[in-house]
Amino acid sequence: MTEIKHIKTSLLIGLPIVIGVIIFIVVSMFLNLTREETRFEELALGKETKIYRAMYQDVLVHCSELTDGAMCLDGWKQRGGHPVTLWLGNSQLHAINQMKSGDVNSVQLLYDKLTKSDNDLLAFSEPNASLQEHYVLFEYLKSRLPIRTLLLPAVFDDTRENGLRDGLIPALHELPVMDELSKTKIGREILTENKSVKDTGDMAGLNDTPQKVVESAITDWLTEHWSLWDTRSAMRGQLYNSLYLWRNSVFGINAQSKRKIIPGRYVKNLAALKSILQSCAEQKINVILYIVPLRNDVEPPYVTKEYVSFKKDVELLSSEYGAVFADIEGLVPGELWGRKDATSINGEAELDFMHFQAGGHRLLAETMFELLQANHFLSDSQ
Amino acid sequence: MIFNSVSFLIFLALVVPLYWSLPRTPRLWLIFLSSIMFYGFWRVEFIPLMLFSTLVDYTAARAIDTSTQLSRKRLILTISISINLGLLFYFKYLYFFVDNAIDALSIFGLQIDKPVLDIILPLGISFYTFQTISYTVDVYRGFIRPEKNFVLYASYVTFFPQLIAGPILRAKEVIHQFLHRPSFNIVDFGNGVRWVLYGLFLKVVLADNLAPLVDDGFAQSVLSLSAIDVWTLAFLFGFQIYFDFSAYSHIAIGSARMMGIHFPENFHYPYLAHSPREFWRRWHISLSSWIRDYLYLPLAGVSVQDRSTGGLAVAAQDSRDNPKRNLLLVLFLTWAIMGLWHGANWTFVLWGIYHATFITLYRFAAPLAKSWIEWRTKLIGWAITLPIVMLSWVPFRAENIGDALAMWKKVFMWQEYSWLGMRENTYLVMAIILLSVIVGYFVRKWYVRTAENYGVTNIIFRVALESIIFAVIIGLVFVFLRPIQQFIYFQF
Repeated sequence: MTEIKHIKTSLLIGLPIVIGVIIFIVVSMFLNLTREETRFEELALGKETKIYRAMYQDVLVHCSELTDGAMCLDGWKQRGGHPVTLWLGNSQLHAINQMKSGDVNSVQLLYDKLTKSDNDLLAFSEPNASLQEHYVLFEYLKSRLPIRTLLLPAVFDDTRENGLRDGLIPALHELPVMDELSKTKIGREILTENKSVKDTGDMAGLNDTPQKVVESAITDWLTEHWSLWDTRSAMRGQLYNSLYLWRNSVFGINAQSKRKIIPGRYVKNLAALKSILQSCAEQKINVILYIVPLRNDVEPPYVTKEYVSFKKDVELLSSEYGAVFADIEGLVPGELWGRKDATSINGEAELDFMHFQAGGHRLLAETMFELLQANHFLSDSQ
Repeated sequence: MIFNSVSFLIFLALVVPLYWSLPRTPRLWLIFLSSIMFYGFWRVEFIPLMLFSTLVDYTAARAIDTSTQLSRKRLILTISISINLGLLFYFKYLYFFVDNAIDALSIFGLQIDKPVLDIILPLGISFYTFQTISYTVDVYRGFIRPEKNFVLYASYVTFFPQLIAGPILRAKEVIHQFLHRPSFNIVDFGNGVRWVLYGLFLKVVLADNLAPLVDDGFAQSVLSLSAIDVWTLAFLFGFQIYFDFSAYSHIAIGSARMMGIHFPENFHYPYLAHSPREFWRRWHISLSSWIRDYLYLPLAGVSVQDRSTGGLAVAAQDSRDNPKRNLLLVLFLTWAIMGLWHGANWTFVLWGIYHATFITLYRFAAPLAKSWIEWRTKLIGWAITLPIVMLSWVPFRAENIGDALAMWKKVFMWQEYSWLGMRENTYLVMAIILLSVIVGYFVRKWYVRTAENYGVTNIIFRVALESIIFAVIIGLVFVFLRPIQQFIYFQF
């Protein structure tokens, strides 16, 4: 009797684990067979939108941040190292909705126009780049480039961002950048909050230990010999994406949902903007500060009162520091915008409020060129 | 060696079968050597330090036992404790002490440059030091006889599942288990596997995914945080540290159980405690029990317990029987030391004093609720205790005292409740976890009761349900298993 009870207990303890392992193997093999290749870049932007980075003679003039920034800076030196117009931005600058063969972005178009008159242009853009990030990047580039004019977009969505991405943190260790940031309150906050690059690699917990060698050898072997193991990172990405889609489905969030201001972040980003403008004023760098194009055929995804107040804040700052302010919110007509992938489970494609088609890029480049010309921000040889 | 790694799972898969296939003496050697190897996977150069500490107490305990004079026994005990605490002081507190001493001298106009001390904190030193101290003290008190077999004793100190972050065990609880050479038991083994899986799930799926949210929040300037943000971060870190530390304990208990060695539980749904005192009966039980027996009760001058269970809550009751000293003072001193044990920073002292304050307040307040209906007392008690406990994590995680106090201050400023400083997801994650922990507890309670009531007739349902749960756990552990973060308690 006791033995039967023991066998039953053993089964109750062990069987679910064994069956659990079998279920997991079967399900994961099935998923692995039916899995479509996931491109996470596309997940963020949507399949309708492609990335374009401007180039001149196969050398980048449009980079993302420090990692590829050296290529842009080398190219600028090769072209003579003349005073340059610097264009900072977010994904609006490097993404083209419904991109067709031969389409280029506004940076490429403006660059082509400026080179005709011996003016140089460099652009740096990153998805969701906050004004704090622009501030750090600007100070970094200012210590390396003779910047004649800064083209700076004011994007309401990006005031909801905070912190620095890892790729920008090495800039904080450069003396000229540290000196400049130390002059402002927000700069000092940025320095304190981002002392070091946090290692977020898969082996971060094993740094400086002999276990790292063993663990790397084992995982390398597993990656090579077990296809399922190799797909773990993609599976993690899929899981996070599914959670994002579920969240949106449950709470009814889509591209048109109102994105409210996050006061703490808003204050920090506006402080960063103020510091950029202050720094430009001290260095006699021209600034064109513009409210980015927003699709105007539908209601914008912002609380009107907050958005209007944001535009007003930006305009006030630009006038305080003598920057040229341009509200080009309505520049790109509705037909030149596009759609993006659904952001909820089984949802339909949604309106894209940030990325326009090549036609929109043409309009943006022309407007920037006109503003540069009208304000005499181009070199005399023009 | 870090538990949340493939190398540990392979290590375990090699050691456990080998352990069961060996007779008693080689089995002890296996435990000892595999534990040394386990430690060496972190840093080989600190193995001699750990062995030295082990050897000191092995020798001291034997010397105490053979001594006939009480004064001599006391002298040996003092030397042993001094060596142990001296090592702990050098590796963990020297920089803190020098730093504060120089700051203090500067008040009197004496300016000294702060030295750059390159001292690495040996992993697990706070844990194995407490374990070896408890052994020698227990021998001195006559609770146990000293162990003559060095390998047996060293296996107790260095036993790999508990070496780095506990539970802090008493020799009496473990040595006899090694000595009896338990025979293989499939139920123990299966339960051990379950504990390891639960632990890995808590660590790699929950704690490691909460870490970026917590790190981002605490990296923000306090000025950019609202009162709601402070609450959210306190709760999020509270959950992160609970998942992280209880994960370690789960894996430790599970690994030992796979080898037929039983450890007591170190956590028992601490966030469902309905009083600050009860919280310490449910949280890091082995540490608070150690503090009770080797610090609080001796300081209070009352008789000690002899087990790593019960926590400080037991002491709070017992010490009132016949205290020789000012209990309130002893309580605060104990908690300050317990805080400092966690790390060389005043933030931890503040954390300890905060808990001491609420335990004291509870002592005064508890009699007032005696006449209330039990469920109502428990519900109100829980609703008060949970936020109090969660707020205690603010100094535990904050960079410095200034930040901790500034964050606490926000909680009492009504205007700070009118805005938010973090992304919406942060609040959502916190709310989901809080809800899941509460619902999870009651579902589990219901499930266990139902399973007991229906017994064998329900066996198919039970196996099917648990199989699905394990398929999900195994799947998520497979996807997320990577040593991306150490366990939080490794830094203590």
